[in-house]
Amino acid sequence: MTENRIVLLLLALAAVLPAFVGDQYVMHLLIMTFFYAMLSTSLNLIVGYVGELSLGHAAFLGLGAYTSAVLSTEAGLPFWLCLPAAGIVAGTAALAVGAITLRLEGHFFVLISLAFAEVLRYVVMNSVELLRGPLGYPNIPAPSLSFGGTVLADFASKAHFYYLGLALLAATLYAAWRFARSSFGLGALAVRENRRLARAVGIDPFRHALVAFVAGGVLAGIAGSFYAHYLTFVGPEVLGFSFTLSALMMVVIGGRGTLLGPLLGAAVVGITLELLRSVNEARLSIFGILLVLAVMFLPDGLVSLRWRRRPEPAEESPTEALDSPLRS
Amino acid sequence: MLLSDFLQFALNGLVTGCFYALTALGLSLVFGLMNIVNFAHGALFVLGGMLASVATERLGLPLWAAIPAVLAIMWGLGVVIEAGLLARMRDAHILPVTLVTIGLSVFLVNTMLMLFGTEPKNVKTGLEGAPIFLGDVIISQSRILAIGVSVVAIIATWLLISHTRAGRAMRAVFQQPEAAALAGIPIARIHSFTFALGTTLAGLAGILLGAVFVVDPSRAEPAAVKAFVVIILGGIGSLPGAVLGGLLLGLAESLWGGFVSTGYMDAVGFVLVIAILLFRPSGLLGAPASRVG
Repeated sequence: MTENRIVLLLLALAAVLPAFVGDQYVMHLLIMTFFYAMLSTSLNLIVGYVGELSLGHAAFLGLGAYTSAVLSTEAGLPFWLCLPAAGIVAGTAALAVGAITLRLEGHFFVLISLAFAEVLRYVVMNSVELLRGPLGYPNIPAPSLSFGGTVLADFASKAHFYYLGLALLAATLYAAWRFARSSFGLGALAVRENRRLARAVGIDPFRHALVAFVAGGVLAGIAGSFYAHYLTFVGPEVLGFSFTLSALMMVVIGGRGTLLGPLLGAAVVGITLELLRSVNEARLSIFGILLVLAVMFLPDGLVSLRWRRRPEPAEESPTEALDSPLRS
Repeated sequence: MLLSDFLQFALNGLVTGCFYALTALGLSLVFGLMNIVNFAHGALFVLGGMLASVATERLGLPLWAAIPAVLAIMWGLGVVIEAGLLARMRDAHILPVTLVTIGLSVFLVNTMLMLFGTEPKNVKTGLEGAPIFLGDVIISQSRILAIGVSVVAIIATWLLISHTRAGRAMRAVFQQPEAAALAGIPIARIHSFTFALGTTLAGLAGILLGAVFVVDPSRAEPAAVKAFVVIILGGIGSLPGAVLGGLLLGLAESLWGGFVSTGYMDAVGFVLVIAILLFRPSGLLGAPASRVG
C-alpha cells in the first residue's frame, strides 16, 4: 500500500469515526489532533522538505490566530473571511522573515527564526492598548454555515468542528502533497539532499527554500485561525515556543519529509500524553525520556519502520544519486 | 543624580551580564566544537542553582565547600549525558540531535519541579553583611562575590583553552575535526571534556544566580534562549564574543529597564540581535556567516 493510499484511508476512517464516538472529551482530543496534524504538516514543509530547522514556527500560527481573533471580534467579519485572511497575513510575514533569514547559514537560521518568534511574542505581550497584551481575545465567535437564509451548521456541537477540522486537515495535506510533487518541492528536496549539487544543476536554494517557507507560513496561519475559532480564546501563548516544540516533535517522531509522518506524529504524541495522564506529576518527565528514546532509536521517525524516505546514499551509484531528488 | 543612576544601573547590568557571559560561554563551547544546539543548557543552568541551594540550605554546607561539590556533580553529569546520548548521535542530522537535547530539557525541568517544587530557591552565601557604598553606588557583598567568581571562571576557561594541551586539542577539533583526528587527537575524549566543561560553566552560572537572586525551574527555557541570543550577538564560534555579548546584553537590559521601560526588557536582546545582524551578520566577533554553496 502506498503512502498516499494510507493517508486517504486514514482520512476516510476519520470521516466515519464520529458515528462510533459519543464522548465529547474524545471528540475534543480528535479535533486537537487535527489541529496539531495541520500545524506539523505546515512545519514539515520547511523542516522536512527543505531541511531547515525553523524554531519560529509558532509566530505564523500566532499571527493567523491573532488575525482571526481581531477581525472577528473587532471588525465582526465571519470566519470564512477570517480564515483566508489569517493565511495571507501569516504568509506575508513568512515572506518577509524568510527573505532575510533564509540567506543565513543553517545554525544562524535556527537561532534567528527563534528570535523572530520571541520578539513577536514580547511585542504582543506588551502592546496592551492595541492587542490587549496578556489579556488576549476571549469570546471569538464560532463559524456558521448558512445557505440562502437556512443555517446548515451553527458549530454549536463538537461534530461540526470535527468535520471542519478534518476538511482543513485534508486541504492542508493536499496542499503539502501538491507542493512536494511540484517542481518547487522536488527542487527543495534536491537542496536538502545536496546543496552544492542542486546549485550546479541550476536550482536556486534560496528561492526554493523561500517558497516552502511561505507555504508553511500560510498553512500554519490557517491552522491558527481554526485554533482561535475552536477554542474561542487567543492569548500571547499561541506565539510561544511550546507550539513550535510540539509540532517539531510530531514531525520528527512521525518521520520528516513524508506526508504520513506528521499525521502519525500528531496522533502518537497526543495518545502518549493522554495515556501518561494517569501518572500525573511524573507525566512530563516520562514524556521527556520517551522523546529522547524515540529520537535516538528512530531518528527517521515511525515512517522509517515501513517506508524508507529514500534509499541509503551508499547503496546508490553516482548517477542514481544525481537523479534521486527528481525521482522521488 | 542621573550619573549615579546610570552607574548603579550599569553595575546591576554587569552582574546580570556575568551570568549571561558564563552561561553563553558554556553553550558556545558545545555549539562551536560539537555542532550541537543544546537546549538542555538552560535546565543544566537551573540545576546548578538548585543543587547549590540544597547543599547550602538543607545540608548546611558553607558556600566554599558547596561550590566545588556542585561543580563536580555537574561535571559528572555532563560526562554521563555526552556518553549516554550525544556520543551515540555524533553523525546524526541536526534535527534529531536538537530534539534529544529538548527531550533532556523537558525531563530535567519537570523532574526538578517534582523534586523541588515551583517555589524559587535561594543559595545561602553567608554574606549577609551590609552592602558596600562606592560613592552613590550600592553593591551587596553577594554581588561582588558573583562578579569575582565569574571573572575567575572566565579567565580560567580562557587559560585552559589557550595554554593547555587539552585546550589546544579542543581548538584543533574546533577548526578542522577530520585533520585533528588524523593528527591523533582523541575526538571522543575531547567531546566528552568539552560537554562536561560546558555543563559545569552552566552550573556555576546557576549557583551564582541563586546566590544573588533566586532560581526556579521556570527559568530554564528563557535562560537557554537568552544564552543563544548572546552567542549570536557575540558571534557564533567566538568565545571572547560570548563573554562580550553577555556583558553587553546585561548592560543593555539593565539600562533599558532603568531608563525606558521594564515591560520590553526581555525583548532588548532580540532587538539588539536583529540590529547587529543587519549590519554585521556574523555577530560582533564572529567569522563571516554568509552561505557559500
